[in-house]
Amino acid sequence: MSRSPIIMVEDLWKTYGETDAVQGLSFEIFRGEFFGLLGPNGAGKTTTIGILSGLIEPTRGGVSIGGIDLFSRPREAKAKLGLVPQRFALYPTLSARDNLIFFGRIYGLKAKRLQERIAGVLNIVALTDRADQTVATFSHGMKRRLNIAAGLLHEPEILILDEPTVGVDTQSREAILESIHSLNESGVTVLYTTHRIEEAQRLCGRVAIMDRGKIIALDSPDRLIRESGKGIIRLSFNAAIDEKLMDRMTRFGLLLFVDDQKKRVHIETDHTDQASRELLELMESHAGLLKTLDISEPNLETVFIHLTGRNLRD
Amino acid sequence: MIRQIIAITLKELKVLWQDREALALLFVMPLFFILVMSFALEGVFQAGGKGNPIEILVVHQGAGRLADQAISDLKRTEGLILIERHQGIPLTADQADQWIGKGRYPLALIFPEGYTERILDQLNDPEKGKAVVYLVSEPAMNLQLLASVKGTVQGAIERRALLAGIPQRLIKLLGTSAGSWEQLDTLLGDPKIGGPGASGVDFLHRFPKGFAAGRRPTATEQNVPAYTIFGVFFIVLTLATSFLQEKKDGTFQRILAAPLSKTALLIGKLLPYYLVNLIQVALMFGVGVVAFGMKLGNLPALVIVSLALAAAANGLGLLVASLGKTEAQVNGLSVLLAITLSALGGMMVPTFIMPDLMKTLSLFTPHAWALAGYHDVIIRGLGPQAVLTETAVLLGFASFFFAVALWRFRFDP
Repeated sequence: MSRSPIIMVEDLWKTYGETDAVQGLSFEIFRGEFFGLLGPNGAGKTTTIGILSGLIEPTRGGVSIGGIDLFSRPREAKAKLGLVPQRFALYPTLSARDNLIFFGRIYGLKAKRLQERIAGVLNIVALTDRADQTVATFSHGMKRRLNIAAGLLHEPEILILDEPTVGVDTQSREAILESIHSLNESGVTVLYTTHRIEEAQRLCGRVAIMDRGKIIALDSPDRLIRESGKGIIRLSFNAAIDEKLMDRMTRFGLLLFVDDQKKRVHIETDHTDQASRELLELMESHAGLLKTLDISEPNLETVFIHLTGRNLRD
Repeated sequence: MIRQIIAITLKELKVLWQDREALALLFVMPLFFILVMSFALEGVFQAGGKGNPIEILVVHQGAGRLADQAISDLKRTEGLILIERHQGIPLTADQADQWIGKGRYPLALIFPEGYTERILDQLNDPEKGKAVVYLVSEPAMNLQLLASVKGTVQGAIERRALLAGIPQRLIKLLGTSAGSWEQLDTLLGDPKIGGPGASGVDFLHRFPKGFAAGRRPTATEQNVPAYTIFGVFFIVLTLATSFLQEKKDGTFQRILAAPLSKTALLIGKLLPYYLVNLIQVALMFGVGVVAFGMKLGNLPALVIVSLALAAAANGLGLLVASLGKTEAQVNGLSVLLAITLSALGGMMVPTFIMPDLMKTLSLFTPHAWALAGYHDVIIRGLGPQAVLTETAVLLGFASFFFAVALWRFRFDP
């Protein structure tokens, strides 16, 4: 992977009315990198993707794609991008081939080259034998794959994927992830947004964690987990726990969350094994009180919880 | 850019072809209107015969014996039914005007009070003005039928007036009411006695109070352009829905992420609908020609108006696309505009029989100007120069619709 930035974002803002959807984002994505954008709903991921793909005008700030300013020379910059939006972005009454013919022509492909690229992308996403069927007859997973194929037609330098595995079964998801990984290995820079911790940890060289329009952390998954990742122990009780018991629990780690009824508690700790053993011992003297105990080892979700105090899926 | 426009156009045509219900709506509905309404109205224009007599309201209070005699003669005329009273009460002129204006009856004959005395006075003193009789007709009445009835009625009235004057004229000319047959023949042959205008009656035709005079189109000439315009504006719904669907499907997003200008996108999307409009116009007028023998007049002028009409319809479609955020909004707005503007613009009822306020409002619809343009060509036989005003106004509507639409249109997902 080259260390020259292919995407540069500088002090990017987007305001809708009184709400700042994106607040002062600045980051770089390097050529050939697999870059992840992770965050809960409403974090500003889709808005950021929208701005980077030229769909949304920012309130202020700059973006350059391959050294070309996106807002002053949009057509040149967009030619380097391939977008795979979260929605299917396909014409359901047309066949897979007709969809690809149209999108290929939009990108300036024609005649023999267009036909070659259509054959090529259908092969990548394993839809060659379905090329002449209407998209309306496709399964969810097939539509997702065709969605990716449409983004690859013009051989973009950068592929932007917005939650490409949403609603897809495990087998199809694996096939999609494998395809994207292969593309990245072949030199395509990938900007990938997802909710799924395991996808970000598995695929991304670096991850930017977003919350409320800002990037709160940006580094490789391993480093983020090492520096900010803690284990989380989640406990639920059959009855409300008293203040004395709650106080005793603080010996094991930081009380991250207590619900209103005092029946659920989350504890953040550096030593999940030890802490969970000692908690179980403590609960022996409160027979029948403990309902469930769940342990999360340090991962990107616990990084998010550590940094924001909230769950990624809240 | 051209290739991209063509690519979008071809894709749009393919998608449009898949939606046969929408196509059916665009082509079948106006055809249906033309066929059903024209055939239904055909009966109106067969009135005046023995099997379908014309009803004429008659107002003659205080008009005297000459009016009564003429009315009596007309009552014996085949094909006419004279109505003098309503619920036993003699009709008044205001009643007649009102009923004609509302389209309840096609004709009214109004003898003013003192009609007979006026005629006899005029015989004694030619300096005194003639007696006036009014024939009031419903503006949409068939011209041929009107001419036929007018001739019959006028003839009966003038004959009675002439006959009434003969004894006095004889006395004047011969000094006695008696004389030889040759003298009588010579007298009656004198054009000053028996010729046109010699009756002492001015027979005047007018429309009901409140309506301007003008040429009335035939059923086909009215219906075909009117329902064509009506059908053309149904493109608003199809076009606006197409934009909405693209935004919903996300394909709009994908297209906008591609290296093409918003101008190319809009032109590519609008072009197929513009072409559909032009095909609609050609098809509807084709039906008018083939099925009803309609004469199209100056073809270049017709084309000019049609091109401007389609531009206005597409502009309105884009405006609705920019305003409607949901399917329900788009549907509601499209249908509302289609029906309301059509009604206001004179597509269902001719503007010449509308009250003054409605006639003024109709000028704020592209429909009225398009119909005026088509009438200039088809009815008045005028050429391209004569339709420049209507074309300019239609293009003005198109410009206004496009300007507002582009100002309001959100390309953001």
